[in-house]
Amino acid sequence: MHNIFRRFLNRLLGKKNKLKIGLYGHPNSGKTTLANTMTGDWLGKPLGLVSEIPHETRKVYRQEKVSIKHNGVELDFDIIDTPGIATKIDYKNFLQYGLSEAEAKERAKEATKGIIEAIKWLDDVTGVLLVVDATKDPLTQANITIIGNLEARKIPFVIVANKIDIPESSPERISSVFPQHAVVPISALHGENTEELYDAMVRKFK
Amino acid sequence: MNGLKMDFLSSDALRSKSSIEKVSMIVDRVKGGDLVIIEGGLTPEEGAELIETTMREIDIENFVGIDIYTLEKSKRSLFGMSKKTVGLTIIGPANLMKTVKKKSNFLSMIADTGDSSASMH
Repeated sequence: MHNIFRRFLNRLLGKKNKLKIGLYGHPNSGKTTLANTMTGDWLGKPLGLVSEIPHETRKVYRQEKVSIKHNGVELDFDIIDTPGIATKIDYKNFLQYGLSEAEAKERAKEATKGIIEAIKWLDDVTGVLLVVDATKDPLTQANITIIGNLEARKIPFVIVANKIDIPESSPERISSVFPQHAVVPISALHGENTEELYDAMVRKFK
Repeated sequence: MNGLKMDFLSSDALRSKSSIEKVSMIVDRVKGGDLVIIEGGLTPEEGAELIETTMREIDIENFVGIDIYTLEKSKRSLFGMSKKTVGLTIIGPANLMKTVKKKSNFLSMIADTGDSSASMH
């Protein structure tokens, strides 16, 4: 209700809402890699650190004033890179990556706070890129909950089927599970098919 | 004796509860080691609230979060179109639930209760 009122007030004052595009998805689905690819393409610098250890991003990172120019259309927005959303965090899973027990426990504690922060940001983003690891089953509670909330709040979103450079990836499986939504297959790591993603973003968020 | 307690809640039993009451009730039971089976599903807002509350309740050593599974059912709409809705929602402690097999109309699960294990179909 608060958001609706704010939007109404902004419209009344002739003030356009600033476009804030949130990157959402599971831990290790490639959100920060995609954020880095986007800021690298359009600002010439990366946004955050990436690693193979899940929950590397445990705070929301924001890059203001990103501007995409695609087919003569310009899209100005802020990127909100959020921590991966999960329903469980077991510090023991981090031990296999060589973290000490104390480091693993600290990472788990920070990750729980990061997930709460990511959920809270759903109140503020005006568009979302849902980043899904195309090598894994997309029908998870986290993805279902994110999509359900975006639909309920009428926040436009694009599903990004990431990691198509990996042979066992299947972006088709994501399209078949979420047939009513736009799915763009990319490799954020290699910048593959990002032009199609920028095109989809301009169409969806402009 | 190590056992697994399963709580089955009908949609009627949940209808009178607010979203916060519903989520608190689920998290309290699951944190206590119980498996909660709900007739129907949660709203998207309740789903987000459930994840948020779970994150607040994780205590690293004893409660590492939850696992959620749903079984869908087809429902005929007014114009004869078939629509999928959630028939059952199963929520349990993540360290206990081990999914064996999940299909659209079948879920087979083993719960690890320490000394013994319970299976559920």
